[in-house]
Amino acid sequence: MKPDIHKTRNIGISAHIDAGKTTLTERILFYCQRIHSIHDVKGKDGVGATMDFMELEKERGITIASAATYCTWKNHEINIIDTPGHVDFTIEVERSLRVLDGGILVLCSVGGVQSQSITVDRQMARYKVPAVAFINKCDRSGADPFRVIRQLREKLSHNAIAVQIPIGLEANFNGVVDLVTMKALYFDGDSGEKIREEEIPADLMDMVEERREELIDAASMYSDDLMEQALEGEVTPEVLMEAIRLGTLERGITPVFMGSAYKNKGVQPLLDGVTKYLPNPADVANTAVDLENNEEPVDLVTDSSKPLTALAFKLEDGRYGQLTYIRVYQGSISKGDTIVNARTGKKVKVGRVARMHADQMEDLDKLAAGTIGALFGVDCASGDTFCSPDVTYSLTSMHVPEPVISLAIVPEDNKAQINMSKALNRFTKEDPTFRTKVDPETSETIISGMGELHLEVYVERMRREYGAAVTTGNPQVAYRETITQMSEFNYTHKKQTGGSGQYGRVAGYVEPVQGEDFVFESKIVGGAIPTQYIPAVEKGFQSCMEKGALLGFPITGVKIVINDGQSHSVDSSEMAFAAAARGAFREVYNKCKPAILEPIMKVEVETPPEFQGAVMGLLNQRRGIILGTQEQDTLCFVEAEVPLAEMFGYSTVLRSSTQGKAQFTMEFASYRKAPQSVADDLIEKAAKEKKDKAKVA
Amino acid sequence: MSPDTEPIRLARKFSRGAELQSGAGRVIYLRERSLSMLKKEIVLKNPLRLIGGEAGHILPKGGFGAVLARAGVGKTAVLVQIALDSLLRETNVLHISLDQPVSKVCLWYEEVFNHVGKHYQLNNTVDLWDAILPHRFIMTFNTEGFSIPRLEERITDLTEQGIFYPQVVLVDGLSFDQEVRELLNEMKLVARENELKVWFAVRIHREDISEEKPVPDNFMNVADLFDAALQLSPQGPQVMVNPIKTPGELDESISLYLDPASLLIKDGQPGE
Repeated sequence: MKPDIHKTRNIGISAHIDAGKTTLTERILFYCQRIHSIHDVKGKDGVGATMDFMELEKERGITIASAATYCTWKNHEINIIDTPGHVDFTIEVERSLRVLDGGILVLCSVGGVQSQSITVDRQMARYKVPAVAFINKCDRSGADPFRVIRQLREKLSHNAIAVQIPIGLEANFNGVVDLVTMKALYFDGDSGEKIREEEIPADLMDMVEERREELIDAASMYSDDLMEQALEGEVTPEVLMEAIRLGTLERGITPVFMGSAYKNKGVQPLLDGVTKYLPNPADVANTAVDLENNEEPVDLVTDSSKPLTALAFKLEDGRYGQLTYIRVYQGSISKGDTIVNARTGKKVKVGRVARMHADQMEDLDKLAAGTIGALFGVDCASGDTFCSPDVTYSLTSMHVPEPVISLAIVPEDNKAQINMSKALNRFTKEDPTFRTKVDPETSETIISGMGELHLEVYVERMRREYGAAVTTGNPQVAYRETITQMSEFNYTHKKQTGGSGQYGRVAGYVEPVQGEDFVFESKIVGGAIPTQYIPAVEKGFQSCMEKGALLGFPITGVKIVINDGQSHSVDSSEMAFAAAARGAFREVYNKCKPAILEPIMKVEVETPPEFQGAVMGLLNQRRGIILGTQEQDTLCFVEAEVPLAEMFGYSTVLRSSTQGKAQFTMEFASYRKAPQSVADDLIEKAAKEKKDKAKVA
Repeated sequence: MSPDTEPIRLARKFSRGAELQSGAGRVIYLRERSLSMLKKEIVLKNPLRLIGGEAGHILPKGGFGAVLARAGVGKTAVLVQIALDSLLRETNVLHISLDQPVSKVCLWYEEVFNHVGKHYQLNNTVDLWDAILPHRFIMTFNTEGFSIPRLEERITDLTEQGIFYPQVVLVDGLSFDQEVRELLNEMKLVARENELKVWFAVRIHREDISEEKPVPDNFMNVADLFDAALQLSPQGPQVMVNPIKTPGELDESISLYLDPASLLIKDGQPGE
């Protein structure tokens, strides 16, 4: 098929865990004839859904990595990124949204807007991704799509407007009425593949009229033609569709579709909606920065004849070797092209260009502007920009959160050691929120990430994909240290033993600062410290921020001001001043009343009201501050801020105290000063560990 | 001295002190003052104290207060300021909202608190915020799902486990357009039994008030249950805060208004 940019859609499917994203994707692929049979997540046939191709995902019934795939629907080419629904894998969602032009927000008609939907929505807003909503599971008991629409408006501030209404609900859910074409749609055949168009049932007519009027009202804000037609009382579907499209592109309207992916109902009209309302790559403005021109922003044009600018948004090490998922914003990539990695400046020759369909692939000659595909054998990190050799554009970097939890891992044998290194190398390239380092004191390998489950999944992947069996230690929380009061210093570093001497004096004060990790200010006048040594003083202080004296965690929120000092014409050097700065900080740190900061997580528990008391009790026991409780229909939401250190094993306890009926999500909120008793315990423990290690050594 | 001049004077002293930081004279920094001092200072400067007499507590235990205004005039902002005043006195506040989710109520607090921080030129707001947060609890209900037995049940959940003991309760979003006397009577019993001070936001309608009848009927019908009431009346671009009922004698000379930019209550005449 000849690529037509106006008929290309790059979309993501995001939602709360278990809202049915993967099932929906599976149905989309089936109706687009990319797959020829349907396998369900956790299906009885043991095959699993096509998009969840990692063994582990199949087992857990969750989608870990966003598998990219493409399909065609009514002459349109749709690239789909299936994204994970668990907060721990948020970086995956963020990356997907960065490269997408539009999104489908899947919501459960029973559960409604849940906490993860709120997180995903915030991310969509950050990247200004227009979206359509799909209210899934309309066949489930308790289904109420209109309540979900209300929640979309109230909780997410979307101007959510139904473009369909359901014909029956729960067990009687039969199909949908399309409010644009004013037809009732039923889905026949074994897999709902035959769509039967009929007249709207008479008993639904009142509701249809009311909802259509709402739709026209909302859409007419974006089209004068529609406004005119509405005043004349004759609205044509074409004009209405165009108005909805314009509203959606501006994120002024969120068209809402309904159905049940599992029961094969309502998926094809959603696909029509994707092609009609979501933007094509040319509709979306993208910018890069020109590295050679003072990082001036450059508007990118979706034109294959322009110089290449493409983003590597995901890496995978699969059966075909290293695979780099790439989105081409401008220009094109063909087999044999030489492209440049803007970060490293390295030139790369493109070997194979392919288009992925979950774990299968299709070779291509060329990836045109606006499309998503994959390259083989290209060495790069996730988030790198590739461009033509004649330009040095870089796409703005993606927002990457700092990891909040660490785990020590020890390989079980020598073979595992080698495989573990390979695995860690791969994972850190694939996922910027996954970090690894070797503790210089214990020589243990430490992995860090966004949550317990995030790390668990990587440990499991190490074992399965790389055959690296590792033993894990207790998860370690990423504490920080800070100072709480201002204190002055005046330190002289003097060394006269053997060789050339070292001399440097620094004086000034240290004070707490909010919202910054480290601030350095020089108020030196009259050359008390020669200008050439001031950067060395800053470096000296900065090196002290890496490890605090209390627990050995990084120090944040420190402002250092130097206002006096002394140098020696022969013995002063950069090294001497850096040493003086280190000495000064060592001396002053304890005087500044250092404190320990602990990561606080925002936890939202969703529970039936009868367990509300128990849920609050559990959070309270874990030093949580309950911000509030919210009652909504049959569910109750408890929002709290809880120290991460107290959240280990919470899911098990929550399950057992609520008969498995409650679920929770958590995400990093902020760092907060740990209570004195907790800080004392931590310091005591750290001192004991240090002592034990010294004994062993 | 107006409450505004004191922090400005201290801030000036502070900025001069920063220049003299090393050696010479030791300056008492504003930021180094203890949290409790800071709390006391803000409480003392709160214009609401003008209504509450010396101790600054407007309501007696078991008493009811009301904030009356038309939609969008600033009822929630005033309620949140009453709450912040209590929180700074280390009094536990239960904020019940019948029309806004927890996140929105939280935003109100953050917003008002930030304005207070700016107004008093506070530097260590993070510590202060962390200190008052455990004293606040937000509960939201669907309007139709709210009833006093249900509220009692929720409060018992909290107190029995030692999670939270409310002392001041704010009810935002309760409709006074329908018959509420019975509900208020039930609430009064709960308030007396638990020694709670309860504030309600009362929404009034433009057509229900006139020059002859400044207080609407929907409130007058239940006014006997209330010990204090503040009415917010827009006058041109300004919103005046008129105490229409106070526990003691009503002091006619008190003049309070809402700053249109920050929605903070200030005393004096607008523009002074």
